[in-house]
Amino acid sequence: MIVFKSSFFYDKHTEVTVREKRKQMGSRDYMVITNNPLVLDRLKETHHIVYRDISYEEILREVRDRIHEGHTLLSHPLSGSVKPNETPYKSIMLSERKGEIDEGSVQLIENAIQACRKFIFKSDLYEESVYDDFQLIDWSLLESGMASADVW
Amino acid sequence: MRLEMGHIYIKDIQFAAESKIEDGILYVSEEAVRAVALEDEKIKSVSFDIAKPGESVRITPVKDVIEPRVKVEGRGGIFPGVIAKVDTVGEGKTYALKGMAVVTAGKIVGFQEGIIDMTGPGADYTPFSKTLNLVMVCEPVDDIKPHDYEKAVRFAGFRVAVYLGELARELTPDETKVYETCTIKEGMEKYPNLPRVAYVQMLQSQGLLHDTYVYGVDAKKIVPTIMSPTEVMDGAIVSGNCVSACDKNPTYVHLNNPVVHDMFEQHGKTFNFVCHIITNENVYLADKQRSSDWTAKLCKMLDLDGVIVSQEGFGNPDTDLIMNCKKIEAEGVKTVIITDEYAGRDGKSQSLADSDPAADAVVTGGNANQVIILPKLDKVIGTLDYVTKIAGASEETLREDGSLEVELQVLTGATNETGFNKLSAR
Repeated sequence: MIVFKSSFFYDKHTEVTVREKRKQMGSRDYMVITNNPLVLDRLKETHHIVYRDISYEEILREVRDRIHEGHTLLSHPLSGSVKPNETPYKSIMLSERKGEIDEGSVQLIENAIQACRKFIFKSDLYEESVYDDFQLIDWSLLESGMASADVW
Repeated sequence: MRLEMGHIYIKDIQFAAESKIEDGILYVSEEAVRAVALEDEKIKSVSFDIAKPGESVRITPVKDVIEPRVKVEGRGGIFPGVIAKVDTVGEGKTYALKGMAVVTAGKIVGFQEGIIDMTGPGADYTPFSKTLNLVMVCEPVDDIKPHDYEKAVRFAGFRVAVYLGELARELTPDETKVYETCTIKEGMEKYPNLPRVAYVQMLQSQGLLHDTYVYGVDAKKIVPTIMSPTEVMDGAIVSGNCVSACDKNPTYVHLNNPVVHDMFEQHGKTFNFVCHIITNENVYLADKQRSSDWTAKLCKMLDLDGVIVSQEGFGNPDTDLIMNCKKIEAEGVKTVIITDEYAGRDGKSQSLADSDPAADAVVTGGNANQVIILPKLDKVIGTLDYVTKIAGASEETLREDGSLEVELQVLTGATNETGFNKLSAR
């Protein structure tokens, strides 16, 4: 009986959460492409997150593909002074809506992919705690972008 | 606005029972500065050390570098909105302890960067090898979050710098320089035939460890605005920026911004230095558009003939730099931009992540990817634990003989984009 009750409440709660989530998502015109597990963890209930377990440069390529599908870049792909290939994590904001291919977005992402290759890859050299720090920095950069986006 | 800057030259720093400045020697009571640093309960312990030019000492990981100052006359106090109460600064009389700096160090995050070598080839690239440095390494309480730690160290550095600056309040400066700006109307009447030129300073403002504060306000939340160029000399702009050691602006650079100082040198001679415009470098592209539109609009409204634009950081700010340059030029205002380069270890890659034909007058702080060998030094203040993890280092960084093979970007201030660095084509 107790099991039944808790299960009942859980289902109700989940339903509300999903409804709330859809409502919140509907009010936003952006999605986040990321390889940062912290971003996934913090936003999966409330935001449209595309999480991929891939490298920094592959995230840039994933974003480029979507730009070519008509999405617009909303945050800078090289945000942060922690260099590409130094940090393994990158989260980028893209428009939810699709339209004509945005040339400015194409140029920014192509330049970012090119810039990425100038840095020696060392994202796999760190102790575990350092990855937490990298995740936090990437989250903080994304958070500052979302704060601007959520004003609208 | 008229600001008299009194320079008090510090020839030596020594630990002593009592803090004072006598005959150009700064005596520091360790007990007193420790108490000042530990006012914040988030700091568990702090150790102080002195590093002098020419000594075999490496300081790392460096967070900020600060020049002690004291406001002797006029409105407000040093670091308004941060340490002193909010009040407009930049007029009256201020004393600065020249030839020395407070250097804060500490492991905020696991890849914290910034090296100051007091001797050897590394010393040739960092301007802070030439200052007498009082180094404070702050340890936080357990389980502190990085942003709380960063803030605690940032404020501890300012408090100690202000404490040391106060020691000079009753002294007579060795040298006095006067900086005077006009109002818009006065400038037009006084220098009718000189070109009207302003300084556009871009401030790093992206998020944790990438922040700058203007009168205590997080720069990512400002829209571009104008200041009197003397305001920065009283600490109106401070650094909360820990990453990109080579091209970030430590607080010391904001206080001594060479663009501001050099423009004052030319003020009334070759041009009319109209004002200091500040803008930010946010991650959200609409913010970039708003800020660059606004900056260009201010340049137009002020009827400027030219501006000098300085950048802070790499990558994302390259876009702000080019947007500012392009839009200001489109208003008919000439630009000279100051940046640095990430052109690869061989110098053959494209230097910036963005470009435009309007950017036809560019000053560079140097190639941050340039490789340098730093020999082993006798003493390390801070820790070398992270030296293979910092930007511009790699797994080959720590070599068998104890020397470090790194890129210039690890050295604090090596390719600074206000020109506060040692690299030159001369």
